[in-house]
Amino acid sequence: MTKAMDLRDNRHELVAVNVAGQVAPARIHAEVLLVDEGGRSMLLPGTGGVNLGVHTGDPVANWIADHLMPGASIEDANGEPAVAGPLHLLSCVGNGVRDGKGRRIGVVSGKRGGLAPGGWAPQLVGVEIPDTVAQTLCPHDRIVVETVGRGLRLAEWPDVELINLSPGMLDALPMQVRNGTLSCPVRAVVPATMAGAGLGQDSWIGDLEIAGDECSDGRLDGLCFGDLVAFEAIDGRVSRFYRPGVLSIGVVSHGPSHVPGHGIGVTILLSAPVEFLSGTVSQEGSVGAILRQWAEDGTAPHTRHAGGEDD
Amino acid sequence: MRAPVGTKPQTNRDRLVRTRLKAQIQPAAANRVVGPDGVLRTLPGQGGVVTGIGLGSRAGEWRGDHVEPGISLGHPEPAVNHAIRQFSCVGNLVTLLDGPAAGAKGIVYGKHGAVLAMFEPGEVSRMAPGEWAAIEAEGVGLRCGQMPDLSLHSCSPELFERLGTITSDNRLRVGVAAILPSIAAAAGIGMPAAMFNMDLHSSSAPVAELTEGLGFGDIVAVLDQDHRHARRYRRGWSMVGVISHGRTTGGGHGFGLMTLLTAPSDQFMFEKTDTANLSNFIELPWVSA
Repeated sequence: MTKAMDLRDNRHELVAVNVAGQVAPARIHAEVLLVDEGGRSMLLPGTGGVNLGVHTGDPVANWIADHLMPGASIEDANGEPAVAGPLHLLSCVGNGVRDGKGRRIGVVSGKRGGLAPGGWAPQLVGVEIPDTVAQTLCPHDRIVVETVGRGLRLAEWPDVELINLSPGMLDALPMQVRNGTLSCPVRAVVPATMAGAGLGQDSWIGDLEIAGDECSDGRLDGLCFGDLVAFEAIDGRVSRFYRPGVLSIGVVSHGPSHVPGHGIGVTILLSAPVEFLSGTVSQEGSVGAILRQWAEDGTAPHTRHAGGEDD
Repeated sequence: MRAPVGTKPQTNRDRLVRTRLKAQIQPAAANRVVGPDGVLRTLPGQGGVVTGIGLGSRAGEWRGDHVEPGISLGHPEPAVNHAIRQFSCVGNLVTLLDGPAAGAKGIVYGKHGAVLAMFEPGEVSRMAPGEWAAIEAEGVGLRCGQMPDLSLHSCSPELFERLGTITSDNRLRVGVAAILPSIAAAAGIGMPAAMFNMDLHSSSAPVAELTEGLGFGDIVAVLDQDHRHARRYRRGWSMVGVISHGRTTGGGHGFGLMTLLTAPSDQFMFEKTDTANLSNFIELPWVSA
């Protein structure tokens, strides 16, 4: 694993916590619209369950689905699917996931939810999983996320907030210092008017969706799970909201939706004023391939072993 | 109220179903929220019985988080609650069924998670969570004969017939307290338009200035919003709603604007006025009694 650049951070101070949960069952939520704007049924797969053959790095538009997440969707096993519990709140993209027997099954790839945390399911965490492993998983199976990342900060960039980001994922982000700002390659830049469902919610819960007519102007063509996307004028540091001068960059965590106001989901990873953070459209702007590689290798970077030593 | 210009909307109100629903006053919430400034605040939240704030009271003046004036109605059984949220419309009559204020009559003025109702101030102060009320729900299915592209949500026929007039070229002329750009839209995008509401970015520029002084029950338009199905951004469409809950702590939240109308923008004629409040469009039962 080569680091894109040397950024000093405080990973040695972070607490690693193993959090238990379950593979989420497929669900249909009665309170959302059940038809699209053309009156067609929108009861499509995508929410919960184990999705076979769907991986980070794959184009999100490949499937007829709604809010599709690659691999398995997991959640807190608290009996309240609408509540984002410790599994959701502590999980970071790049964290390792194992099953109840201790077998490494995959890597956290993103989150979905946050429309009304506590009031509205789902609050899901997506896990990239090799198909051979996914075929052995069932809803309600016990899983464990090796969470680490809450509290992560960059020493030289105190104004850049890191959210949902494991230290290993931070290392894999192909960032550079450019014109005095931390510059992150992204596959697409979208304006704040395209920020849809997920506004107004905790940046650590779920995602912010790309919605609106401009979605079809070509800028999202070919977008893949695991691609990086920048939202202009969206502050994602405390919650997700419109604020000119602040940029938020995240990872594509789920696929499109026919529900008006919904669309491709982006789990926020970085947010800062534009004098500190920028997004440059580039083919490099994706972590889909590295997430899939980590899952296939059965290793997640920066797994803390007993005794506190890091990989 | 200014004299109407244009003709009265034709509606299908004689074909609408009126249903008596029974709903319960919801408990109060104390909302603990971290603001964009990083400060944690605990303030009175949604639900409960909020006294001393009426229709027309300034929504930004009260130190609360999503405060709903008057009473907030819901039901413990999810399917029943869903029906209450879906079928109740602004302007529907509400009658308290039990407790010290039994018999008091009020109206639905908005929606959030619950259905929100206002009564005479003295009656509100005698009410408490857990008491039951009957809502005479009517309005789902309402259409306007002259405007086939107009969608109505949560809007009683009584309200719609007084809210605006139809111009000679079949546009809806409607008085509004504010006309906001689409960037005003915050939490609530993506939710079904007939339920809940859409928060406004009412604490940050440029929306803060445009919404300053708005009151509960004020009628407000937002441009480039399509609320026919679920709430979404769409250039060339507009929505009209009613201010239903107050200011908030968290970023991406603000005054709650409940959807009433949506249509292509060129079918609306908005007129900014300082009388665009529900209390000027609905007969308040405690006033007319």
